Order: sequence, then C-alpha cells, then structure tokens
Amino acid sequence: MDERLAKALEFSNYRSTVENQKRNLRSRVDSLQTITYNNGTFKADKSTISFVNTLINLDNTEIVVVDERNNPIEISDPKDFLTTLVEAYNGSMNEFLAESKKLAKARSIKKIMDW
Amino acid sequence: MSYNGVCFFAYNNKDIDYVKLALLSALYVKKFMKNNNTCLITEEGDYNYLVKSRGEDLVDRAFDEVVFTTVKHKQNIRTHFDSPWSKFTSEFKNSNKHLINEYSPFDKTLLLDIDYFVRNDNLDYLFDSDTNVGMYQQAKNLKHETPFLYERYLNPVGIPMWWSTVVYFDKSDISEMFFDIWAHVADNYDFYKFLYKFPGALFRTDYCVSIAVHLMNGMNTGDIIHEIRDKQMVYMDQKDELVEVKSPTDWIFLANDRAEPWKDIATRNYYDNIHMMNKRSIDRNWQTMLEKLDV
Repeated sequence: MDERLAKALEFSNYRSTVENQKRNLRSRVDSLQTITYNNGTFKADKSTISFVNTLINLDNTEIVVVDERNNPIEISDPKDFLTTLVEAYNGSMNEFLAESKKLAKARSIKKIMDW
Repeated sequence: MSYNGVCFFAYNNKDIDYVKLALLSALYVKKFMKNNNTCLITEEGDYNYLVKSRGEDLVDRAFDEVVFTTVKHKQNIRTHFDSPWSKFTSEFKNSNKHLINEYSPFDKTLLLDIDYFVRNDNLDYLFDSDTNVGMYQQAKNLKHETPFLYERYLNPVGIPMWWSTVVYFDKSDISEMFFDIWAHVADNYDFYKFLYKFPGALFRTDYCVSIAVHLMNGMNTGDIIHEIRDKQMVYMDQKDELVEVKSPTDWIFLANDRAEPWKDIATRNYYDNIHMMNKRSIDRNWQTMLEKLDV
C-alpha cells in the first residue's frame, strides 16, 4: 500500500477511536450529572442550577421543580437541593476536564489505551 | 428496615457455565453497590458444581442467599456469537424468570442477568425510591449506536421493547400485577407472538415484559413502569470482544462494526454498568476480572 494512504488510514482509525472515547466521556458526564432528589430525577446542568438559584434569590423557601420525567417535585429545602446539584455538576466537570486533557494529549490509539 | 438485595438466575448447560458467570457478577455487585445482599437462584446440582469448582469460600463471599428451584424448563435454543466469525447454539433456561417475586428473599429486589456487570452505584437509588417496577427501555452499544430495530420495537410498527436484563421491583400490588401479566404472556407466548407480531423461535423474556408494560399502561405509552435513571443500558454486543481488564472500572473492548464486520475499533470504557452479551469473552477474562476485583 502507498505509504501516504497507509498513514491516512491509520489517522482515520485514530480519529474514530478518539471520537468514540469522547462519546464515552460525554456519556459518563451525563451519568454523573443525573441525580435523584425527593423521588425526582434531575439533571445537574447549567439551566437547572441557574433556575433553582434564581428561585432561592427571590426568597422562595419552598419550590416545585419539574423533573426529567415531567413530574412536579416538591422541594422543601431549596438550598440543600442547590448544594446537591452543584456538587454533582462540579464533580462531573472536574472529571470531564481531566479526562479531556488526557485524551487531547494521547496522539495514538496505543496512548489512548495505555498499551 | 427492609431487607434489600440483588438476585441472579443461573442454570448451567453443556456450553455455558452460568453459575460461574453469576459468581463473578455477584462479586461486582458486592464491590460497587451499597444494597449488595445477593441471592443465587439455581438448581442444586449446579450449585454443588459451583462450590466444587470455585471453592466454598469464594461462593460464600459472592452469595448471601441461595434458592434452589426444580422447574422443568421448556426447550429454548439460543444462538450465540463469539466474534462475527464464530457462533454456537445452546439451551437457554429462562422459562421461570417471572417467578422471581416468589423466589426473591428480599423486600426490594434488583434482578440482574448474570452477564450484567455493575461497576458503579447508579442503581442504588432505586432502593431509596418509591418505584414499584423499574427497567431499561433503551440501550446503546459500545459505539453508542442504538440496537437493531427488533431490539427497539417488537415489530417495525410495534410497541417499544423493554429489557428484562435489569428488573427492579418491590412487594407492591403493582409489581405483583406486573409479574402476573408476565406469567400470562409467557404461558400464552405463541398467541402474543401472533398478536404483537414479534419474530424468532427463541422465548424472550424481553418480549414478555414489553407486552406486560404495554398492557399495564392501558395498551398505550405511559409511566406505570419506571425507566431506570440513566435511560440507556450499555451493552457489549456478542460480536465484540473484551481485550483487556486494566481495573474493575477500566476495560478495553474491540467494538465490531455491524456494517463491515471485518472492522473493529478499540474502545476504553470506564465505570459504566455493562451488559456483556459475549459470554465466551467473559469466560476468557473471568480470572483477570476476578483478580482485579481484589475481593
């Protein structure tokens, strides 16, 4: 096989592997951001955190938030709920950043797999 | 305080040592879940073989409870792949899976297939919820692709398929009704096969639970059955291969290309719970998977 073509195919395999690892990582982040609170399922993402924080800032002491399944969930301690959301968000982002950096540095399939 | 835990069905055949796989799967539950009481449901002969082949100490560490059954299983031949290039058929004994609510010693039970490996505590939330019955309705493979049509719907214009790989249930009227319908569908499988127009000669409990869900939702879509929180069950296809176990939470697979089966890509999976459909691949890595657990 032509050397240039062989290199191109090797690069293509490498990119496929990187893309799949990125999908694995996003899936992991998604899983870390999914929390259960008062029998409701919530995504600890930017919009949920901002929304809950806004309600707290407007002095709401009890709130109702629609969860991922479109069910209304009563939250009697919004500050505790916000803390839970922020912890899940930060945990997921720290892992996302660290693993993304590792992936960006790995310039071959062998390095991605630690072979 | 309720007594909660995880159950496994395992009946050996001449090709697959199911109790050996159940032992490993139970040890992963012990390692990663908080609700980690475990129960093996099997035949006495298979259990004796497990103790003899793996040692009583390891078996006792894996299982808190053992339930012996004496059910005569209907003949059910399943085709297994081990890579795209090797396949074999073997007897699959699953005709009493719907009796789990009678067999389970637990108040709240998580029923796992023996090829489902738990590597995080995501499923623990079910035991703290008011869920009556919970399962996965969606799945994705190691390349994040959705399953083939007949593993998403019972027929091209049919109802959604739910997976019986992971079934959580409590001791409520709703869960009792669910298992009653499952039993009814299993007893009248050919009729429901005609009615729901699903394919194949294999008796699949996935189809039984899917029909039970449909009936319980008033023959419509609905939320009477809880869809497990992480939504998509991750599975390793029978044509994929586990090539390296770096740690209990860090595994490298070769994920096969469905359209071009001579191609594979390496994929490194951390922390996901995985339905490992290639049982021969588990068997090849069994010892390493056990040693890395360090239990």
